Amino acid sequence: MTALAPLAGTPETPPAPESGAGPGDGAGPGPGSSGRPGRRLTPYWLLLPAGLWLAVFFVAPLFYQASTSVQSGSLEEGFRVTWQFSNYSDALAAYGEHFLRSFGYAATATVLCLVIGYPLAYMIAFRAGRWRNLVLVMVIAPFFTSFLIRTLAWKTILSDGGPVVGALSSLHVLDVTSWLGLTGDERLLATPLAVVCGLTYNFLPFMILPLYSSLERIDTSLHEAARDLYATPATTFRKVTFPLSLPGVVAGTLLTFIPASGDYINAQLLGSPNEQMVGNAIQKQFLNVLDYPTAAAMSFLLMALILIMVSVYMRKAGTEELV
Amino acid sequence: MTITLSGISKTFGDITAVHPLDLTVPEGSFFALLGASGCGKTTTLRMLAGLEEPTGGTILLGDDDITHLPPHKRPVNTVFQNYALFPHLDIAENVAFGLRRRGVKSVREQVAEMLDLVQLGDLARRKPRQLSGGQQQRVALARALINRPRVLLLDEPLGALDLKLRRQMQLELKRIQTEVGITFVHVTHDQEEAMTMADSVAVMHRGRVIQLGPPAELYENPRSTFVANFLGTSNLFEAEILSPQSTLGPRAEAAEKGLKPVEAGMSAEGETPERAETPAVAGTAEVSEGTSAAEVPGETRVKVAGADVTLRLPTSRCAVESVEGAEGVEEGRKILVGVRPEKIALLHPGEAEAVPATDNQLTGRIKDAGYLGVSWQYLVETPACSDLTVYEQNVERDTRLTAGADVVLHWRPAHTFALDAAQDAAAGEEVL
Amino acid sequence: MPTSTAPRTPGAAGPSSAPAAGGPPSTSGPAAPPTSGPAASRSLGAPLRWLRRNAVVLAGCAALAYLLLPNLVVLLFSFNKPAGRFNYAWQAFSTDAWTDPCGVANLCGSLGLSLRIAVLATLIATVFGTFAAFALARYRFRGKSTANALIFLPMAMPEVVMAASLGTLFLNMRIEFGFLTILIAHVMFCLSFVVVAVKARVMSMDPRLEEAARDLYAGPLQTFWRVTLPLAAPGIAAGAMLSFALSFDDFIITQFNAGPSTVTFPMFVWGAAQRGVPVQVNVIGSAMFVLAVAIVLGGQIVANRRKKS
Repeated sequence: MTALAPLAGTPETPPAPESGAGPGDGAGPGPGSSGRPGRRLTPYWLLLPAGLWLAVFFVAPLFYQASTSVQSGSLEEGFRVTWQFSNYSDALAAYGEHFLRSFGYAATATVLCLVIGYPLAYMIAFRAGRWRNLVLVMVIAPFFTSFLIRTLAWKTILSDGGPVVGALSSLHVLDVTSWLGLTGDERLLATPLAVVCGLTYNFLPFMILPLYSSLERIDTSLHEAARDLYATPATTFRKVTFPLSLPGVVAGTLLTFIPASGDYINAQLLGSPNEQMVGNAIQKQFLNVLDYPTAAAMSFLLMALILIMVSVYMRKAGTEELV
Repeated sequence: MTITLSGISKTFGDITAVHPLDLTVPEGSFFALLGASGCGKTTTLRMLAGLEEPTGGTILLGDDDITHLPPHKRPVNTVFQNYALFPHLDIAENVAFGLRRRGVKSVREQVAEMLDLVQLGDLARRKPRQLSGGQQQRVALARALINRPRVLLLDEPLGALDLKLRRQMQLELKRIQTEVGITFVHVTHDQEEAMTMADSVAVMHRGRVIQLGPPAELYENPRSTFVANFLGTSNLFEAEILSPQSTLGPRAEAAEKGLKPVEAGMSAEGETPERAETPAVAGTAEVSEGTSAAEVPGETRVKVAGADVTLRLPTSRCAVESVEGAEGVEEGRKILVGVRPEKIALLHPGEAEAVPATDNQLTGRIKDAGYLGVSWQYLVETPACSDLTVYEQNVERDTRLTAGADVVLHWRPAHTFALDAAQDAAAGEEVL
Repeated sequence: MPTSTAPRTPGAAGPSSAPAAGGPPSTSGPAAPPTSGPAASRSLGAPLRWLRRNAVVLAGCAALAYLLLPNLVVLLFSFNKPAGRFNYAWQAFSTDAWTDPCGVANLCGSLGLSLRIAVLATLIATVFGTFAAFALARYRFRGKSTANALIFLPMAMPEVVMAASLGTLFLNMRIEFGFLTILIAHVMFCLSFVVVAVKARVMSMDPRLEEAARDLYAGPLQTFWRVTLPLAAPGIAAGAMLSFALSFDDFIITQFNAGPSTVTFPMFVWGAAQRGVPVQVNVIGSAMFVLAVAIVLGGQIVANRRKKS
């Protein structure tokens, strides 16, 4: 819808400002021969199909959902907009715990992804040498197997009486985690730990790839300069490498946190039915209970909360160039 | 094909890149647009190529108006900065691109011929990134020349090459231009490059052509501090006109004895004949501290500001154009007096009597002497100017001329030029 | 993918501690290079120093193991002969599933449906996305930042929100769920990724190349076909591959917008996970993995050979 707005009026294309001598920045087919008025409409024509698609199938549904979220009624009688804001309060009352759990799991998984992914991205960027491309392929390769199949594989890996449970329980790790409430007795499956492990696994490549691409851009002579100026390897990392990789960190954390907080597959396959995430609740309301207003209210709430968190985070991180 | 730009201008939003500009490039000439980055030279070239639509004015190629012709319909080709070779095509296809677009069927022979001309025949199947900078440059040249354009535009074509290769390519380009006889318009920020290659140079500054002429004229007789400093180095002093002299002065007869022939051709604008007849003053007994009291016909005496030094220069050069317009040579007018470092001769004070009395003369102390191989560069502290630069050919150097030594400096008045004082004396200095 | 190898910086070892140690217990995978060996014979400090210098490599390898472990398990269990309906515990070696991959009802049908949807969604998203990317990369126009936000937003939204809202729309419009709704949904979320990939490529293209083409007598159309499109091709290809992968593997949005008769491959797996996963699912997963890795590596080898010759 928003994309259509500029089409209505007569758009004015400001001439591409160019530095006096520099080769025209953005001097594509446009500015050089922009004499004809038809040229000015070219970008709008180019944007039309994609813009229309997104307007109708992305923006419009959000409005529909907003209106659905304040409807009341039932499947048999039909739903009607009655400005029933109690849908929101009811959803929060019934599923507040799910929201908290979702954000908690997603945040934990994001931090774990950063901690696990950073060394790998660093290794690919600076230490892999001629293996660089091979390692990159190996990071992307898991994608080629359907992620549902891979998540099911975790069920095998973490299965009761399996090698992982055996090893951890003989090391008494499970005693500690079960005391903390993260796992059950002698059991990993159907515990929060398993869900977080699955989320971390699923979204790890989304952390590694942006990290790698921002690390790869760092001039290695900067490392040498830092070392030359009396920085230890640790200081070099803290003062040079990490700050320069921040755009990748921000992009990676967003690409991990946002989908992870809406996910319901890991909680469904690896978690316990009593400790589900908000995604499971939405899915159940929408597909099983068929209570569309509640599902809409919850998903609208989820979207709003995520947008608030993301905008606060991006302001804090000072990186808005992602858009 | 003669190119005639009349009133051509270009603005980008609020920024005026090129002020209305009139320029004529004669057929078959090698024409250089010289200036620092951002001076509008590239924009001018792009308007010639058709890549930029002029805001106003017309461009004529011969008698044809090409102002609004799109680039692919102009008989003009460009050698781009950084070459802009198509990375997805090999060398032969890059060179053949223009011919193919114009529907030429059999391009093979022409391409091979062209690649041989630029000595790249055996690299025809390589991709551009597999070539060195110099080779890429020659491909770009071949790609443009194969179309036999009526004008070839070169946008900083040698900027990406190292110094030695650049020198070599300068000569190469000049040779090719002479061979093919096409009009070349060359944009560069390198004054040396412009002077080596071009028949005529237009110096651009802030969207305007501030001086136009053959390289020698620009160098010997700059009309602004920008040109004086941008083309080579200049020593500039603020001065005041003492006595404009256009006719024979009172002491002219006394000077007749020491008449000295002066070799012709050291300056470009016809000062030489006049100078050749200028008699040297005889009996240079009292050559006082940088002053020469002698009045010489055709020369004007000026007093350097803040120092008891009098210099002379041809009166014809004093009529400098100021910002407000042309001004005459009246007494008391403030001007900037300039002299090129290589025109100044350095002498040990013991040999001061060898200085012709008609020369401008200063004394000073060497602050620094730098060895440049072909020459020595001295920095001399003088009453007129605390940092006077002097270049001396590295032939037979007086070993006494070291830092701290007192020296006598002298040069011919004809090598002195004058500029309007109402401008920044340092303009054009700090340009790359 | 960058082909040049980066110069090594032997000194810059990054974080001196191995951060992967904080990961979940399952990270204690294999693939860690032997810590003793060449260093063992030297002084006592040498192994420690070696460990410190290569800590980041060890942590990286551990992370890689974590990433690849499920794929290995999937491959291993594709040779299993499960006792019951569930394929979670190792029983006996068998190649039954590999010899009869379509032996389970509806599996290959769902695979075909997924492939068809992925191909169509990729085609549409790539064409429309490329148009939009050119508009955003090459033109200045009013509403550009709005358009940019519109493109960015779908990527910053949890899938379940998009899924539920699009489903709500179709319900309200009384559009029957099926092939078409899935396709619409897939094109919707693929578009943004295509635009981002193509836009990045187009923005990094040297505008002088197109100017050179126009200078060399190529008209606007010829310039586009001969220069612009070939130069943008890597970005377009990357966008297309990304869309294909996203569409083929999508589950959440599909589940909300599919009809009862349109079961895609991920939906088949999801259903199977409740009832019992046939070994054939592992076979398909492994086959795609092996095939894709072989294609990528083969391409690399060919490219390397071509570079050498």
